[in-house]
Amino acid sequence: MRHPFILTVLALLLAAILSIAIGSVFIPPADVWRVLTGQPPQMVGQAAVIILTLRLPRTALILLTGAALGASGAAYQGVFRNPLADPYLIGAASGAGLGAVLAMSVNWPYTTVGLLAVPAAAFVGALAAVFLVYLLARVGKTVPTTNLILAGVALSAFATALTSFLMLRSTGELRRAIAWLLGGSVFSGWGPVLVILPFLLLGLGGLLLSGHSLNVLQFGDDQARQMGLPVARARTLILLAASLATAAAVAFSGIIGFIGLIIPHLMRLWLGADYRRLLPLAMIGGAAALLLADVLARVVMAPQELPVGIVTALAGAPFFVWVLRRAKNQGYW
Amino acid sequence: MLRIENLSVSYGTHRVLHDVSLDVQSGEVVALIGPNGAGKSSLVRAVSGVIPVEEGRVHTNGTDLLALPSMQRARHLAVVPQAVSMPPAFTVWETVLLGRTPYLNFLGQVSPADEEIARRALVRVDALDLAERRVGELSGGEQQRVLLARALAQSTPILLLDEPTSNLDLHYQVSFMETVRTLAHTDPLTGTGNLAVLVALHDLNLAARYADRVALMVAGEIKAAGTPRQVLTSELISAAYHLPVQVVPHPFADAPLVLPADK
Amino acid sequence: MYRKFFFAFAVFTLILTACTPGKIDLTPTEQPAPTPITLTDGLGRTVSLPTAAQHVVSLAPSNTEILFAIGAGTQVIGRDMFSDYPAEAASIQDIGGSMGEYNLEAILSLQPDLVLAGGINPPELVASLEGLGQTVYFLPNPTTLEEMYANLETVGTLTGHGSKAAALVESLQARVAAVDAVMMPLNYRPTVYYEIDATNPSSPYTYGPGTFGDLLIQRAGGFNVGSKLEGQWTTISLEQLVTDNPSIVLLGDAAWGETPEKFAARPGMDALDAVKNNHVFPFDDNLVSRPGPRLVDGLEALAKLLHPDLFK
Repeated sequence: MRHPFILTVLALLLAAILSIAIGSVFIPPADVWRVLTGQPPQMVGQAAVIILTLRLPRTALILLTGAALGASGAAYQGVFRNPLADPYLIGAASGAGLGAVLAMSVNWPYTTVGLLAVPAAAFVGALAAVFLVYLLARVGKTVPTTNLILAGVALSAFATALTSFLMLRSTGELRRAIAWLLGGSVFSGWGPVLVILPFLLLGLGGLLLSGHSLNVLQFGDDQARQMGLPVARARTLILLAASLATAAAVAFSGIIGFIGLIIPHLMRLWLGADYRRLLPLAMIGGAAALLLADVLARVVMAPQELPVGIVTALAGAPFFVWVLRRAKNQGYW
Repeated sequence: MLRIENLSVSYGTHRVLHDVSLDVQSGEVVALIGPNGAGKSSLVRAVSGVIPVEEGRVHTNGTDLLALPSMQRARHLAVVPQAVSMPPAFTVWETVLLGRTPYLNFLGQVSPADEEIARRALVRVDALDLAERRVGELSGGEQQRVLLARALAQSTPILLLDEPTSNLDLHYQVSFMETVRTLAHTDPLTGTGNLAVLVALHDLNLAARYADRVALMVAGEIKAAGTPRQVLTSELISAAYHLPVQVVPHPFADAPLVLPADK
Repeated sequence: MYRKFFFAFAVFTLILTACTPGKIDLTPTEQPAPTPITLTDGLGRTVSLPTAAQHVVSLAPSNTEILFAIGAGTQVIGRDMFSDYPAEAASIQDIGGSMGEYNLEAILSLQPDLVLAGGINPPELVASLEGLGQTVYFLPNPTTLEEMYANLETVGTLTGHGSKAAALVESLQARVAAVDAVMMPLNYRPTVYYEIDATNPSSPYTYGPGTFGDLLIQRAGGFNVGSKLEGQWTTISLEQLVTDNPSIVLLGDAAWGETPEKFAARPGMDALDAVKNNHVFPFDDNLVSRPGPRLVDGLEALAKLLHPDLFK
């Protein structure tokens, strides 16, 4: 299929339009257009507020989150040369969850800083976990990928157990913790977008620049070194960028699975394994996919809103199986 | 040329290379032979900077190769590994282009000159028609040639090969080694001089026919180095491989022929 | 291939637009004489209303119960999905609330003049609604009956039913005093085991200190085995339960299918006095868990079960 970038960007635009136009309250498309172009809507009510302060910022947040997860997932799969890798492989999710639950057990004052406590703790927790895994896995000057995976599994198990323990002992924070973990956007407005934007730009920017290094890394550490790549440094920078993007993604949106795992595979099936193309495509594709999942989450059981994490899990897995069966390619990985 | 001086390497407490010294001149093929575990692969990996070295130096024309950062070193020597577990989704063209990595910026931007070098490398190994095929679809021999082309695209004066013929059938073994010998003896595509080639081989008779000099390694040491006739003697080989062998003149080539002896 | 892709996308879009519910329209009711109200809520926020709220959205079942109890039921235009009492609440617009996800768009489109949040709502939800231009009052969770009365009065002030709320508080206090009076003097205090959840029967949940369950059992003249434990919703081991040997067992999980017969059938439970004497009773947990006026109903129900001889 030609023009993959154009098609993927088109899909993203369509998904964004759906996300702005559709919600649990029906707003006629004409009014949506009027609000977006600054004219007053025909319909009496809160159409302008809903679109400008709810749907537009939420679309932006979900878009950025999906982009971060898609690109990090591709990067993790490349660094670890493992098709099962996803952005949470070395502890980001469990660290974020532990940080968030710890923060929820404190009564923060109702101030700007206090309200940011839980997402900030999640962000710091994610990065701290990855850093700890990195330290545990280091052998001299190298950081073997096997060690990273083992340390990641161990730390994740520990952090998750600790989180579960804290949740059981909590006095009513249980519901709030579960809701956050499942991936909900309780936060609304432009605040969350502005807060995570610098970290996301840093992380995504770093990832987009590492396509060539990832290509070289696919041949294994030895050959990569023999071809002239400074392997340890390249791997560290890539993991740092990916973890930064992932931490920013989970801070406000909780743990959303499957996007980071499946979107890179879909893009690889479609267009091959060159990471210089795969990374930007996974970014755009991840954004589009998460937007679609979020729209589904909002309408499928209206007026209830499902957490996005549930939709991605329920919809993502069967969809991926269907795609795999259609793909006649065997050597796509 | 490649000069290896008093190289010693250990994996933890286990010493795998002990005071190894070896020269490889431009224009010559030196074959590294020896039983499994003798240290052939370790020598290739140590020289190419993949495993840390305890003592000794490796240099070329005065430049200390082990002191260089990997990108600089990769402009002096290229390695052809065994064609096992190659990422199957890359095309041959993409794979060979990656050989230009030491000369590319971190974005991997490729110039027309780079592409021309890659193209000529593929022509050199007679694999240009495979360019658009995915590596995972190729045979073992074809994959090995692709890896040779990638190393050639790296445009280095020194070429190291780590048991490249282990998984190849007879036809590919012969054609591969002929290509390697041609590369050393005639002008390579960069035109800056003849290649110095060090190839680790497990097949003694391939070494006898295609190498200018042979170095025999046993238990991490070089036991003997010289022309094939000098090194491939029944005493040396029988002692090294713990198997009585008989060395006879090759019936139609100017080389010795090693045969396991009758009991 | 292109055509299939776009066809699928078009179908997808059509399905989605068909799934969205209809437009929500609301005409405002008559405006009473304006009397501005300014209060400080449970998060320390200053909340101001130009006049008593006429269109209230409740984010917690306890808040819904309070609103109806003080006579503001007709002013409730939206409620969370778990608000099931009184029966009139069922016909009010559902605005979500499962797993903490509230339907902000629906809330906005109802155009309320007050959103009443409760202890179960996180501060970021309050901030979100505030950011969307809503007036939110956070009603903190009470820990004593007195604090619950104060909440009733607060909601009364907010909705213009101050006198009704005050009257309700008086009648509740009278009922509680009546229970206290009958109880004095207390010649015996039965040991009570209250079961909140027994999904894992070997590690069931019960009320610990600091909960209304514990407080009301105490007030109703019983001894709660959970009062010795740590934590508010805490598990008790079966061995401890057998050692405590409660004479009364209350099944707060009756709403989820637990019955006295099932309880008695559990291994080891037949050793309990409560089982031997057939003193295992189902109990409506909402009467002790929802921090509203029905806590007093709960107290009375508990007193009848714990001291049947004193309460006919």
